Amino acid sequence: MARAITPQRKALNTAIAWTFGIMIFFPILWTVLTSFKTEAQAIADPPVFLFFNWTTENYTTVLERSNYFRHFWNSVVISVGSTVLGLIIAVPAAWAMAFVPGKRTKDVLMWMLSTKMLPPVGVLVPIYLIFRDIGLLDTKTGLVIVLTLINLPIIVWMLYTYFKEIPVDILEAARMDGASLRNEVTYVLLPMAVPGIASTMLLNIILAWNEAFWTLNLTAAKAAPLTAFIASYSSPEGLFYAKLSAASTMAIAPILIMGWFSQKQLVRGLTFGAVK
Amino acid sequence: MATQHSRAAARLMISPSVILLLGWMLIPLGLTLYFSFLRYNLLMPGANPFVGWENYSYFLSDPAFKAAIVNTLLLVVGVLVITVVGGTLLAILLDQAMWGQGIVRILVIAPFFVMPTVSALVWKNMFMNPVNGLFAHLAKFLGLPPFDFFAAAPLASIIGIVSWQWLPFATLILLTAMQSLDSERLEAAEMDGAGPLSRFWYMVLPHLSRAITVVILIQTIFLLSVFAEILVTTNGGPGNASTNLTYLVYAESLLRFDVGTGSAGGVVAIILANIVAIFLMRMIGKNLDA
Amino acid sequence: MTNTTRALLGATALSVVAMAASAQDTTLTIATVNNGDMIRMQGLTENFTSENPGIAIEWVTLEENVLRQRVTQDIATNGGQFDVMTIGTYEVPIWAAQDWLLPLDNMPAEWDQADFLPAIASGLTADDKLFAAPFYGESSMVMYRKDLMEAAGMEMPDEPTWDEIKAAAEAMTDEENEVYGICLRGKAGWGENMAFLTAMSNSYGARWFDEEWNAQFDSDAWKNTLTDYLELMNTYGPPGASSNGFNENLALFQQGKCGMWIDATVAASFVTNPDDSNVADQVGFALAPDNGLGKRGNWLWAWTLGIPAGTDAPEEAKKFVAWATSKGYTELVASEEGWANVPPGTRTSLYENQEYLDAAPFAEMTLASINAADPKNPTVDPVPYTGVQFVAIPEFQGIATAVGQQFAAALAGQISAEEALANAQNLTQREIDRAGYGE
Repeated sequence: MARAITPQRKALNTAIAWTFGIMIFFPILWTVLTSFKTEAQAIADPPVFLFFNWTTENYTTVLERSNYFRHFWNSVVISVGSTVLGLIIAVPAAWAMAFVPGKRTKDVLMWMLSTKMLPPVGVLVPIYLIFRDIGLLDTKTGLVIVLTLINLPIIVWMLYTYFKEIPVDILEAARMDGASLRNEVTYVLLPMAVPGIASTMLLNIILAWNEAFWTLNLTAAKAAPLTAFIASYSSPEGLFYAKLSAASTMAIAPILIMGWFSQKQLVRGLTFGAVK
Repeated sequence: MATQHSRAAARLMISPSVILLLGWMLIPLGLTLYFSFLRYNLLMPGANPFVGWENYSYFLSDPAFKAAIVNTLLLVVGVLVITVVGGTLLAILLDQAMWGQGIVRILVIAPFFVMPTVSALVWKNMFMNPVNGLFAHLAKFLGLPPFDFFAAAPLASIIGIVSWQWLPFATLILLTAMQSLDSERLEAAEMDGAGPLSRFWYMVLPHLSRAITVVILIQTIFLLSVFAEILVTTNGGPGNASTNLTYLVYAESLLRFDVGTGSAGGVVAIILANIVAIFLMRMIGKNLDA
Repeated sequence: MTNTTRALLGATALSVVAMAASAQDTTLTIATVNNGDMIRMQGLTENFTSENPGIAIEWVTLEENVLRQRVTQDIATNGGQFDVMTIGTYEVPIWAAQDWLLPLDNMPAEWDQADFLPAIASGLTADDKLFAAPFYGESSMVMYRKDLMEAAGMEMPDEPTWDEIKAAAEAMTDEENEVYGICLRGKAGWGENMAFLTAMSNSYGARWFDEEWNAQFDSDAWKNTLTDYLELMNTYGPPGASSNGFNENLALFQQGKCGMWIDATVAASFVTNPDDSNVADQVGFALAPDNGLGKRGNWLWAWTLGIPAGTDAPEEAKKFVAWATSKGYTELVASEEGWANVPPGTRTSLYENQEYLDAAPFAEMTLASINAADPKNPTVDPVPYTGVQFVAIPEFQGIATAVGQQFAAALAGQISAEEALANAQNLTQREIDRAGYGE
């Protein structure tokens, strides 16, 4: 920011912003802390914040009980696979809509978004029957297909708003200079489109990673991702806060870390054409 | 510049998406429509006779139905208000000069990466539980009686949890929009004696309007089908106090395994969602100039 | 069978064959609930696979509600995802009647089917064939704090009445110190508050339906049940009771915040375990209360292992079920984890084993509670259904969950007991009429 700011003002901003930041982040922090407590300490009264006997026992238990790495790998394959497949289908569509808009482009887009309003619980039984008959139950392929389809509208829409921001004049200038369509795409458009594609990809990996309805209901053992892993730790008989926290931490850590590292990228692309 | 040729190419490029989505919409929708006219309970196999509108009249006359409509709207509107207002304020805050801006931004967006099931479990057990939750300990520390969130204010509690999950999304998008605001114009306005409120009202807000539209649109799509948070925390209760339409359809089709009535409920939910969508488009669509 | 179903079955068979061919070993996919005893079983898998080379095991461990929905959906659509399913005594008779479960015949002799407790086995048997093997069984009983009772100068009888329970709750409540006289289930659900309330109502002479399948929530007996329950909970219960299920109450009791807790007998091993419980050495047990009408307010439940008819490996699945519910398995758990941790409530021989009786102070009361429940004859007045804390019809889960919501709303203070009962009556009758019972 160009304005000169007094250090006092900056300190005040910092204090307020950090307070809110920590408040919003606190539930996650608390979960991570709890995952290192014993079950008894997890429900201790008054609660203990930092000064307890740190233990990794919960993680050992969770790793012994569940095949975490298989769930993790399934999550990776399903979320990345569905996102990549979605991008392959969506990029041409968004491209065409942005650069060759027709009368109905807006209607088509809105219709695409409206397919996301189909409540999944209402169509589970039909889909389950179809999947049973074509042998897709409990397969990663099946989940990739479903997640691609449910996230496709969002992917198309994000890409579309992003592509629309690319100035058409540059294209025309390139064309004047005699660039072929291929060169036009490779050297002019792609570099400008990459940030948008990247952030679309990130957002959709997050959405797919966290999708808990289809992933739980269409899998059994082989293709079950981390959402199913969590379902085996929520409210069993007996005390479970600490183990639940450990499992939760393990389920969200990969995506959280990915999100943090790619945060800048995500912010850059999440404009939805909002910047004007 | 669009030639006949490029139009044809464009159509070709769009068609895979359209065909796939059309299939994804029509096949389940067709089956759902078909099932909705049958007496079809998974637990009672046998002939599934055609029963006409019976499933619809049964679903619509369910005493929980009206409550579910109201709760669905309250949930969507409540979360939208909290996330848009909160997101705007946070975006303005994060746009100020400060130390450690990057870290604060990370802290604020973190909840978006948490699975809905996990966040509901964490909030329910570790925060809102009236005996062992942190809020109860806090209340005790202040000498107040603990507040029983899911009994006294079930829907509000769920709105709170869902808002926590979606606040980062709103903040992110609004922050991106904020950063493109011309700070020199703001300064000029300040020189001219415009107070912070009027600067916000006449300059910042109009600039954000498009981003706010995007937030509302995307979130509404997801909020209409909030489900995991309700299942984990209140199971739609007490009574019907936190039953939304999605949850009611779930209760019919996966708790009672009444696929017929569940499908009828699904069709009703789709129709209502599309009415909301049309309203939404009318109200804010022009803001998008897509 | 219609042509479509036949085609569908054909397709399923093909995909099953394809799956089986792709694996060298036979893989059994076992769906189970994430309760402690099942987690222990999962940990002992190697013992089974080393005895049975050529069989590999895949576990799908899920939370109870998710599990129930998942396996029901799969078995009803013949999805074929699981070879062994963990199901409750509620599902077994209903599923067996649909021919969804394989009967457990030709089991090895040393499995000793006659050893299963009659109260438990009778609910799993149809046409003299056992359709699921009990893994552990439970009833409900009163667990109370001996120290608090003593401090109040009271003594808990072995067979208390509801009035005595109320008096004890009053004497032990000390809200200043966060000790609540009684903790009961309040969370809505057919397996949560309705399990407790239905069992309680039996001792009040109430019933779900009369012999013509008319809902009975407008009866005085139900009114008394609900008013007494609400009074107990509102006066002596912990805050947040309307969202407390088994787990929440367990945590409260282990922290010493409950004077009494009436719940599953399996909880006894948790509350007396000094690793988790602050009050381990102060817990006493008594039978569930009654009102002198000849029925006590205790339920009967067992988690069982059943084999879906759609499995592609019935012999291997039977081997596994025989292993997990054998006497040998009990001994295996005893040698690894101690006698107090063996799965209780299924075999007569266990309650004749002195080592077990010595290690488990709650054993006697558990057995007495199980024997005090009669699923074929659960109520004071005659009823057209079986099941103690449930009505063994497919519609029950849906109806009872909705009724449970009404009672939870009454507990949360949103509606009165009268309104809750009137709503329950309406919605139950509505569902039962639609399903065509009593026609």
